[in-house]
Amino acid sequence: MITVFGFEGCPYCVKTKRYLESRGVEYNYRDIELSAEAAAECQRISGDLTVPVTTIDGVNYVLGFDKKKLDELIASA
Amino acid sequence: MNVYDFTVKTKDGKDKSLADYRGKVLLIVNVASKCGFTPQFAELQELYTTYKDRGFEILGFPSDQFANQSPGTNEEFQQFCKLNYGVTFTIFAKGDVRDETAHPLYKYLVSQIGFQGFDMSHPVAQPLVDALNEDFPEYLKGDGIKWNFSKFLIDRDGNVVARFEPTTLPSAIAADIEKIL
Repeated sequence: MITVFGFEGCPYCVKTKRYLESRGVEYNYRDIELSAEAAAECQRISGDLTVPVTTIDGVNYVLGFDKKKLDELIASA
Repeated sequence: MNVYDFTVKTKDGKDKSLADYRGKVLLIVNVASKCGFTPQFAELQELYTTYKDRGFEILGFPSDQFANQSPGTNEEFQQFCKLNYGVTFTIFAKGDVRDETAHPLYKYLVSQIGFQGFDMSHPVAQPLVDALNEDFPEYLKGDGIKWNFSKFLIDRDGNVVARFEPTTLPSAIAADIEKIL
């Protein structure tokens, strides 16, 4: 299952979610402003402080809204 | 001329001369509440907490010029920073940081140190360039501020000594701060 880390009102988080939906991909969404645990997990995965982070297994991830890389991530699912 | 020649507006609309910060090391950052880089607030606050007792200040300037990513009033912005990231450094009034309408302080900052190029090894650098190409191609030209969370380091004499693009994490500039503290 794909997980998207983001927060409310972040435009590229929204774009990422809409893109996954347009591809018919199901995903979990975790808000890093509502959950400190999600924020810590998100930073652990990417080693960075940028969202969205889209991950499939907590190891392979895509940082930012990058259709090409999201496609690759989906394909590896 | 140096940064002490400029006056900015506090969140309450009052004038604040940067000369009040004379003798301190400053990090001037254009911030946003709804940006992919917004989580950088956490590390900015860490820098502030670590170095404030040694004469370090962070000055945050919210701007709506990058895809309207700082919506709401000044008060709402302050609340957002406090609630979500525990920010205790100073956030000034919203304003423009690029183009003709930019605050004179920002015109001065970018005239002192031009665009440094994005760190293209940063995974979000390419998506950022793509987004700029798509939505704000003119922003890629020249030395103006490219996006939220550009950072300028000011020494104790008010000189602009370094510029960091949004793709540089606050924690990555700790060494530069220490050097001039």
